[in-house]
Order: sequence, then structure tokens, then C-alpha cells
Amino acid sequence: MRKRSTYIILITIVLAIYYLVSGIYLNRLGYFNSETLFYIEKARIIFDGVGNRLKVMGLTAPILPFYATFIFTSIDYVLAPVIASAIGTALLFNLMVNTLLRDSKDDFYLAILLAIFLFHPGMLYTAISGKGIYLILIFFYLFFLNLFKFYRSSTTFHISVASICLVILTFCEYKFIWLTLFFIPLVLSITINSLNLSERESIFRLFLSFNSPSLRRKLVNKTFALYMLIFILPVISVVCYKLLNLIHANDLNYFIESPYASWSVFVDNLNYNISTSTFSQKVPDMSVLLSAKILLYCPLILLALYLFKEHTYQILTILTPFALLEFLRVKYERSYLSHEFYLIFVILALLCIILKAQNFSNQKLFKIMLSSGVVIQLFTGYYALKHSQVEDERDFMSILLKPEVSTQQDDNRDLANYINSLPDDSRVMIDDAIAYPIVAFIHNTKKLIMPYQEKYLTAVEAPRDAVDYMLVATTKNPVSGYTQLNPLYLETVKANDASVSLKRIYEDDHWMLYRID
Amino acid sequence: MSVSIPELLISDGFITHGDRQRIDEICVNLGQSFIKVALNFGFISRKNYERSLTNAGYVFEEIREQEYDGDILSQIELKFSNDHLALPLRAENGKMVTLMADPSNELFKDFIKFTYDMEPEIILASDLDITWMSHRLLGERYVKSAVFELLNRDAKASALVTFTMPQLIFIFVMIGLITSGLVLDFKNTSIILNVIVSTFFLVAITFKLFLALVGSRFELHQAVTNQDVREVVDDDLPAYTIHLPVYKEDKLIKKLVWNLQSLDYPREKLDIKLLIEEDDDKTLNAVRNLDFPAVFEVIVVPFHMPKTKPKACNYGLHFSRGKYLTIYDAEDIPDTDQLKKVAALFDKLPSNYICVQSALNYFNRNENFLTRMFTLEYSYWFDYMLPGLDTLDIPIPLGGTSNHFKTENLIGLGAWDPFNVTEDADLGVRAYEKGYKVAIINSTTYEEANNEPFNWIRQRSRWIKGYMQTYLVHMRNPVDLYRRIGLKGVLGFSFFIGATPFTFLVYPFLLLVFICYMVFDLSTIRTLFPDWVLFMSIFNLIVGNILMIYVNMMAVFKRRFYDLILFSIANPVYWLMHSIASYKALYQLVVKPFYWEKTNHGLSKTHNPVNVVS
Repeated sequence: MRKRSTYIILITIVLAIYYLVSGIYLNRLGYFNSETLFYIEKARIIFDGVGNRLKVMGLTAPILPFYATFIFTSIDYVLAPVIASAIGTALLFNLMVNTLLRDSKDDFYLAILLAIFLFHPGMLYTAISGKGIYLILIFFYLFFLNLFKFYRSSTTFHISVASICLVILTFCEYKFIWLTLFFIPLVLSITINSLNLSERESIFRLFLSFNSPSLRRKLVNKTFALYMLIFILPVISVVCYKLLNLIHANDLNYFIESPYASWSVFVDNLNYNISTSTFSQKVPDMSVLLSAKILLYCPLILLALYLFKEHTYQILTILTPFALLEFLRVKYERSYLSHEFYLIFVILALLCIILKAQNFSNQKLFKIMLSSGVVIQLFTGYYALKHSQVEDERDFMSILLKPEVSTQQDDNRDLANYINSLPDDSRVMIDDAIAYPIVAFIHNTKKLIMPYQEKYLTAVEAPRDAVDYMLVATTKNPVSGYTQLNPLYLETVKANDASVSLKRIYEDDHWMLYRID
Repeated sequence: MSVSIPELLISDGFITHGDRQRIDEICVNLGQSFIKVALNFGFISRKNYERSLTNAGYVFEEIREQEYDGDILSQIELKFSNDHLALPLRAENGKMVTLMADPSNELFKDFIKFTYDMEPEIILASDLDITWMSHRLLGERYVKSAVFELLNRDAKASALVTFTMPQLIFIFVMIGLITSGLVLDFKNTSIILNVIVSTFFLVAITFKLFLALVGSRFELHQAVTNQDVREVVDDDLPAYTIHLPVYKEDKLIKKLVWNLQSLDYPREKLDIKLLIEEDDDKTLNAVRNLDFPAVFEVIVVPFHMPKTKPKACNYGLHFSRGKYLTIYDAEDIPDTDQLKKVAALFDKLPSNYICVQSALNYFNRNENFLTRMFTLEYSYWFDYMLPGLDTLDIPIPLGGTSNHFKTENLIGLGAWDPFNVTEDADLGVRAYEKGYKVAIINSTTYEEANNEPFNWIRQRSRWIKGYMQTYLVHMRNPVDLYRRIGLKGVLGFSFFIGATPFTFLVYPFLLLVFICYMVFDLSTIRTLFPDWVLFMSIFNLIVGNILMIYVNMMAVFKRRFYDLILFSIANPVYWLMHSIASYKALYQLVVKPFYWEKTNHGLSKTHNPVNVVS
């Protein structure tokens, strides 16, 4: 047993090294995505910035993936997210092996897991991109694992741990808070089944429970209690976090709606605007079609459903994420579902299949089916990423398939290098709502005046007195409408102060750097 | 008047021949007199006994004002007098004036003749009065032992000294440092204090959540199954002592007898001691007026300060004969199979397990807000916290009642500390220090939850004061404690026993800062504390409260008290009541550390059925 655990640790370490090497290699080739650049920029502010850093630290969202990169900033700001995601994904592998295969003597399932973690493009994206997906997958896995354990043991422990995992999951990706809505039928089903009734069929049990006052009271009380125990922590945590946002930013939804707090605000809008304004033959994320798309992406989930065919609440549990995604599609109609929402089905399918694998009578047939499913999934994973609606995902797939030096961030790097070359005592006004990809590459954030600082407002009002340089978005910049520092602002400055002299000292397609004299 | 009392009782129809035979057998086994066994093992009620003797021409006399001779008393042992319900008082007219509950007790008459060389002149008196007299006149040695035994044996473990000199120096140095800090740099000192206190608050509560999670993991585990209980052979069971320390509980005596009679344990192997204080005539008269047979023996605890429950229990220990011993309060309703379960568990456990703690809960939980909150609290405490401590091998503060000991080891430990007002919590830690273990059993005793706020505060202030005493006693030498119970034990002890009063004491301050800052937007608070400090304190307070509410919510699950789940949201209010009790406790710790705040029982109007376990 000890030998096996050492063996698993070794595989985990090798996997982490594999991810790290790949991630650092892609990073050196110039692959970045909005999320990692955002984390790098915020980390620079927190460790090197001047001003109200507490607000940045407390209100940057999603907060936990952001904090997870902190540990590695001492190594390198730019590599920190990649290191975090590489190690985090390897830990997810270790966690799954240790919780699902601890007592298994059959290495086939270990090989299946390893194949998914080594070759599935979605898992590689999770591990190498530097995004916070790994945390989402870890806590999504733990949440569902504990739910399944609760069905088996009925102990408060598992339901409480599931609840705590859901809290963490919510702070990794806020949209998961909506899971709370779709568990209502599940919780009711659990309660009905736990009542001491002679009737076996759920629908008749429900009928009996509703028609007896004492049973009805018991049913309502228990359903409510169970629901509270699972969801009170995430709901209250979100309420508290919103109150914190209200106090510090005068906006309850600051963390999900402000571009200063969340990287996804512009990116989602931009992705949507680009894809709706251009002709595309891609399958749109529409109701029902979305579920079909998930089934195509992760056919193993069908096998999982089959394995639980006689277990009502396990089936309902597996269907809950489908309902969630359909809901998200409607609720957030202006953004595409990013890849983590597909990957959760891969994790869920693996969890269910490994939990129930032993119950399948013909193990040989089962293993063939599973292996085939995995191969199909590797292909669908590749296809889904390559044809994703989300630009970051497509970029990743391109560089993964064709590892060439990327010029994607060259303009931002050049501009950042220019600002780096400015004297240390110079003050540069930058609006990091849209300019965070530039700030991410600026080494000395002390010379920057940004909106998190109190003096930013003064600088915007009277730039000549407060700053030496300012970075202005050009009209070609697709998000220039989201910042005050755009060409219109230049005219306002000139109108307010006729004597001000603005000299353009650097320019590219998206940005202009002015020196103020 | 030489009628045999047993014959008289048979002829009057109060006992049968079969009863007499059984009584005689028990007398032989225990070395007690016929009347003692008949009255204490449920064969005859005191009323019927008096009625029978009165009808036969006997006259019961009031004896409390009788004169006595110290030299005469010095020649009789209390236990002998107690077993025979008889006491020689003085020599008068060449005869020995002797109090007797059974004038036909030839063995005691012979004792008088041989010891004093005189014929006895018998004064018939109620057994309770004789017990009262004998303990009052002969019990001094035992009561001194009950009070000072632990002190003499291990002075460091006694709470007689509340604060040791090093502790006082530490406390005053800390106060001095804080005061100096506040005078020299008010702002920074306040910030440091705020950060330390609020962080400690959060850590203490997170630790409780952790314990609850650990405890909840094994909630389905049954230390003793029903099958185990069914396999217990009555003849193999050992004698079992039950201590019932009472003070002015006259209203509960009838209920008590009913609850005790429901216990599933061979009657003759039960050694039930009702420990009544010398000045507690109310309870004594309630026992006297019972019109049905009692199943306990009355022990009168002679007056000696401090007048505490542990002192009474220590006194009762001198007269206990059980291999195992437990304590119940007068209003307790234990699971009927609890004693058998404990005996079965002790047989299974290694020999270093010397105590088994049962869960406590309340039978009147739906009576009012307070009883609901109390039920939530007890549910998480006994169903999750204590099993959590047990799993992590951290000292367990025993609950007030239903802790079952191996009598021999209990005596070896020095028994309860009469100067500690939560003697059970102290004993749990002391046992752990000596390398002994405490187990938790899946059996519950239902108590009466306090349903009256002032009574609740009195009770709670005593508990919190006891926790403070216990913490001070065991932290007299932290290095030594660390050597004995290890780092895990010290941390667990500090966060569980030490942090409990502390969190209650600081809670109102944190709440006040929170209200001033959030509700009234008080600018002084903002100028005093920087944003990060306020953020941290409020985070700690909010998260702390949420976690505590959540732990309470968890508690309802095992017990299936689903209707109580929403009441856990009222926990912050309930904590304020704890804070009031804590300040009272702190005050009493300084001015009257050994004072036992009496909790009034019997206030509940809830009908409480016996908890029969099938």
C-alpha cells in the first residue's frame, strides 16, 4: 500500500513537471490570456503598488484563483499563474487518485485518469494556461464527491464538507452560486427517500407525505434543514462579500461588474461582440443544443448516467450541472460559456464512473467502452477548444498545436518596455480597466497612477499638476469606449487648460503615450 | 414489644415472604440491616413502614435535639451506623440511649452491649433522621477528606488557590503593558489589540467548526450496539453507584424515583446515593413524604465550606460500593439501557479508559426560545464537539452529569476538586494528564433545559467561571502541561477551555465596533483603526458568527430536530447572553471563586416521558 502511494506521488510530481515545462515553454513563446495578465497586474499592484491596495486585494475576482497565484509571485510575477495552475492540476490528479482509487488494485482506472490528465486538451488548457480553472475543477470535484458520499453515509460531515466546497467553488467562479437553485428538486428527492414509508416509488411517497399533516411537516422541515445545511454557507458568504463590495466600492456587484475587479467583464463582452458581428458557422450556445453539445463533448457522462440508472438522486445530481448551464446560457446571454463549464462534465463523469465501475458485471466490455469513450473525448476536447467562441481558448489551441513564437502580446510588451525605460521618478497615468495587459509587463508600478489610487481622480482633473505621462487608448482600440483616457479626453484636457502641451512620444495601433509639459 | 419488624411488615401485608427472602439475601451481600435494604431498594415506602410500626404501638420521636456524648460516638464507625440505621448517643441511667430505625435489630443491640457494656435504651426514629444525625455527628472525618483530599495529595491540581503568584504577575504585567501602550501610543496599541483579539476569535471558532466536522464524520458510529446490550448477562454485571447530588430539589424527588426505577439494571446491583446537604430539610422531607418505595439511599453531607456539588460527591464516594460510578442530576432522564451500555463498553475498552461520557440533551426543547437555543448548543457540543475531541485525542471536558467512572481510578485521581465549580471539566483534563482516556458513548441523558433567563445566566456564569478556574489550574505551569499532554493537547485545551470564556468576554466589544462602524458609520472608529484593521475585525466577526451558526445548524441533523434549524440564526443574540454570564463569572472568579450558583430545576412545564430504549 505504501509502495502504491509513493508511486502515485511520483506520478503526480512527473505530471506537475510535465505541466510546468509545457506551461513555461508556451509562456516563453509568448502565450498569454486575459485572466493571467489580469492576475499578474493585480499582483504587481498589491506587492509593489502605492495606495489603497486593500481594496484591490479584497475585491479582485475571482478571489481565490487570484490568491493562489500569490504564493508563486516571489518566483516570478509573469510565471506565477502558470506555476499555480500546473501544480494545482497535478494536485487535482492526485486528489482524484487518492479519493477514488485508494483501495483499488486495478491500475486500469489510474491509466484512464492519467490519459485524460496527460492528453485531454481541456486538462492541458487548465494546467498550462495559468487560468484559475484548476481550482474550479478541484472544488467542483470535492463538492460532488462529498454529495455522493453523503448519499451513501447520510452523515452531516459529508454534507457540511460539500457545503464548504461549494463556498470555495463560488469564490473561484461566481456563476456556480446558481447551483443552489437547481438542487431544490434533488434535496426534496433525498428527503422523500429518507422518510420511513412502506411505499417504494418516489411519486407515491411524495403523495403520501403531502397528504399526512405530520409527514408533511416532517418533509418540509427536513427538506428545509437539508437545503439550509448545503446552501446557507455559500449564500451567506456571497451576501457578505457583496456587502463588502458595497462598503468599499459603493456597488454590491462591483466584483462581477467592474472591469477593475474582474477580467471577464470586457473579455466576455468583446468575445460576444466580435462573434456576433462576424459570420460564423459554429454551433451557437442555444438551449437544448447546449446540452447536446455537452454530450458530444463528454460522451462519458452518458455512461455515468447509465451506471446510476436505478438511483434517483444520483441521476438528479448528474443532471443538475446541465440545468445550471442551460440557466447560465439564459442568464448571461451576452457571454459564452468558457471551457471550465464543459470540463466539469469530464470530472463528473470520471467521478461517477470510477465510483460505480465495480458494479458493472462485464468488466472487459466496460473497460473497452470506457477506453473508447476516453479516446472520443480527447478528440472532442480538441475540437471544442479549436472551434471555441472564446478567443483565449482558440489562441491556446493554436499555439499548442503549432508551437511558434506568438506576437499576440508584442505591442503591449513594447509599450510596457518603453514605460519601463522612463525615469523612475516619472508619473504615468494609466487606466488599468483596459490597460492591465500593459501594466502586467511594467516592472515598477510605483511610477503608475491608476484608478485604485486616490490621486487618480485629481490626475484626471488636472493632469499637468499630477502626472508626467498619460496612456490614452486610440480609436482603433476595441475597448476604448470603456475608458475615460481616450481621444475625447485629450480634447477635454486641452479645452480645460489651453496652456497644456501634450506630446505624443509613443504610439501603436491601440495606444498613445503622451508626455505632459 | 419484642416483635420482629420483618414479621410485622409481612403480617401487615407491606412485604411478602419472597420479598423478605430477597431482602435477607441482599443484607448478607451488603452487610446492611434489614430495614436499610427494605427502605432503600424499593420494597416498602417510608409511609407504610411508619404506619406499620405505629399501628404496632411504636412511637417515632424527634431526635435532632437529643444530647450526645462525644466519647460514646467516638467508638462507633459512621459506616456501621449508616448501614444499620442506628446510633448510640449517650449513657443514661446505666443504659445506652440508642437511636434505631428498627428496634428489632439484634445485631446492633449486641454491638451496643459488647462495645459499651450496657443495655440499649432504644429511641425509635425515622431512618432519615438517624441518617441525618449520624452523618452530622460522625461525618467530620469524611467531609474533611472530601474537601481536602485532592489538596493534600496534589496541591497544584486544586483550585483552592485561584491565581498563583506567577499568574498574578503575568496578568498584571500584561495589564501594565497594555495600559502603558495605550498611554504612549493609543492608536497603535488599539490596532494591535484589535488584530490579536479578532484573529483569536476567528481561530477559536474555526477550531470548533473543525472539531464539529471531525465529530460529525463518525456520527453513525455506535460504540455499543443494541446487540451488545442484548448480550449482557445480568448476573455478570458489577455493582453500579449512582450519585444524585441535590440541593433543595424537593419538587423533583417523585420524578427522580420514577426515572431511577426505569433503569434497566439489576436492582440489587444498583447503589444509588441521594446526596443531601445537612441544611436541606426541604429535600429530606420530600423523601420522607414519599408515599411509594424509594430506590435510593440517602446520604446527608455534613456542613463544610465550600458547599459545592463536587464536595458532596466526594463525600458520597466514601460510602459507594460500585465498580462503576456515575452522576445524574435530579431531573435527568437517562436512556434506560445506559448503565448496561457503559458496562459493555468498559469491557470492550482498554484499561486506560477510565471514564465514559454520555451525550446530554433536553426533553423540554420546544418550551421557549431559550430551551431551543440550549438544545442546539448541547446537540453540537455532545454530538459533535466531544466526539471530535475524542477522535483527535484531545482532553475532553466532561459534561456535568452522566459521566461514568471506574470508581477505583476515580479515587486514584483524587476524585473531584471541591473548589472547582466545573469539577467535571477539570477532572477530564486531570485524567488526560495522568495518561487516562475518556470515551464517548452513544447513549443520551435528557435533562431539563433552563427556561428562565436569570436562572440561565446563573447556571452559565458558574460554568464559565469553572472553565476559567480549570484553565488557570492547568496553566500554572504551561511547560509541564505541554510535557504531560503534548502540543496538540495544550492547543486543544487552550482553544476549547481557555478560549471559550475569552471569546464570550470579547464578543460584545467586537460587536460594538461592528455596530459603530457599519450601522452608525462612526467616524472616530475610522480614524482610530485603519481600513485594513476594520476589514479584518469585521471579517473575523462576521465569519466567526456565520461559522458558529453553521455549527449549530449541523447539530440538528443527528438528533433530527429539523424544526430548530432556523433558531441557529439567533446565535449572535444567544452569545450576548453568554457574554453577560461571562462578565458575571469573571467578577465571581475574583470575589467568590468557590461560590456555587444554584440552578433551579423543575421549572419546566413539559411532560417528560421516560426515554425507553428498545
